[in-house]
Amino acid sequence: MLSLIQNIFSFIVLILLQVLVLNNVQFLGFLNPYIYILFILSLPVKFPRWITLILGFVLGLIIDIFSNTIGIHAFATVLIAFFRNGIIKLFISIEEGSNPIPSFHSFGVGAYIKYVVFMVMLHHTSLFLLEAFSLQLNWMTLLRILLSSFVSILLILGIRSFNKR
Amino acid sequence: MRNLFNFLIQYSVLILFLILEVTSIFLVVSNQGYQKSVFLSSSNTVVSGMYQVSNSVVEFFKLSAANDNLSEENTALKNEIILLKNQLSTLEPETKDSVHFRIPPEMEYEFISAKVINNSTNKLQNYITLNKGLRDGIKVDMGVVSDEGVVGIVKVVSTKYAVVIPVLNEKIKINCKFKKSNYSGPLQWSGEDYRYANLKDIARHVEFSLGDSLITSGFTNTFPEGIPVGTIEDFKIKESDAYYNIKVKLAVNFRTLSHVKVINYKNFYEQRTIEKVAEK
Repeated sequence: MLSLIQNIFSFIVLILLQVLVLNNVQFLGFLNPYIYILFILSLPVKFPRWITLILGFVLGLIIDIFSNTIGIHAFATVLIAFFRNGIIKLFISIEEGSNPIPSFHSFGVGAYIKYVVFMVMLHHTSLFLLEAFSLQLNWMTLLRILLSSFVSILLILGIRSFNKR
Repeated sequence: MRNLFNFLIQYSVLILFLILEVTSIFLVVSNQGYQKSVFLSSSNTVVSGMYQVSNSVVEFFKLSAANDNLSEENTALKNEIILLKNQLSTLEPETKDSVHFRIPPEMEYEFISAKVINNSTNKLQNYITLNKGLRDGIKVDMGVVSDEGVVGIVKVVSTKYAVVIPVLNEKIKINCKFKKSNYSGPLQWSGEDYRYANLKDIARHVEFSLGDSLITSGFTNTFPEGIPVGTIEDFKIKESDAYYNIKVKLAVNFRTLSHVKVINYKNFYEQRTIEKVAEK
């Protein structure tokens, strides 16, 4: 029950942080970090996958509504929600019966960083490619993906290093 | 039948994943013609209301810059009034008669002032949300300007809010011309830097130089003639090209945009109707 309330709280706080603060960060004119996916990253490892997918879709759609980009964030977030378990299995073997929340402590520093980097890169790549769907700005898109991913990864790791659990 | 059910249960997550992704792609594609549903865009009342609150906080920190602009504009307007009064007094006949002047065509425009409550400059397709809508007289396709120059064109209107496609969106082209020579061409954003856009269709023989100003051409009914658009920053032309590739520094700083004016051209529909009749 407590974790449910905590999750709802972090869901709302992350959306507000993303929409009201980070969407207005305009460093160099084309850098936009997206950290709302931290919600998907921080769900327990054995969390039912179908709920993860639906939460990802709803989360993405809310961000979309606020930034006038219907469907783009929903697509990218559902994508990482689907591949989350596969990516976790790549880096760490979860013991039978345990259900840890991904963090520096439960995964180990190296494995957690790899997990975050993989998920953020997957999300940002699909996001920016879909956004540039109709335009031929390949090197620009690549630069946006790399720079934004880098900043997002730093922010997410920074936020997580404050939570001790 | 049982096999089918087993199959559905076994792959339920995959099927759900595919359904959600197809829905997203469908939303993206059906959205290409720009926001068919106002409901999901940021003219949505809830979203706009939230932006308005957050904007009122940000607005506070921009007050001093806005004040400077306003006082500058005030002085310019006052000067103009004095000048016009002087001119008028020389034209006035000795004895006043009851015949009134007809309003000259230039004055058939009316400005509706509005505030920017959501704005982006770092996307490939940027949009601006205004705090005025249908009930304030804003309609689709009206032009939007700031004190500095052209901002964009109104695309979606709800009762209280309006969404503007600014110059910083590759979906619109603004027809503009050189102040000096009257040659015109379409201006389109390149998607890279919020300070610059590209001017096309200027033929090789046209003469111009760096720093020349561009103004609206007045050929469309959205903007009256003579509103500043930008200045020439740089231009290139290859031996084989027939047209210049011109980089334009935009007159408006979209980063600090806070107050704009929507242009209401009163005879818009009359002019459009008569033009349509003529084309038939």
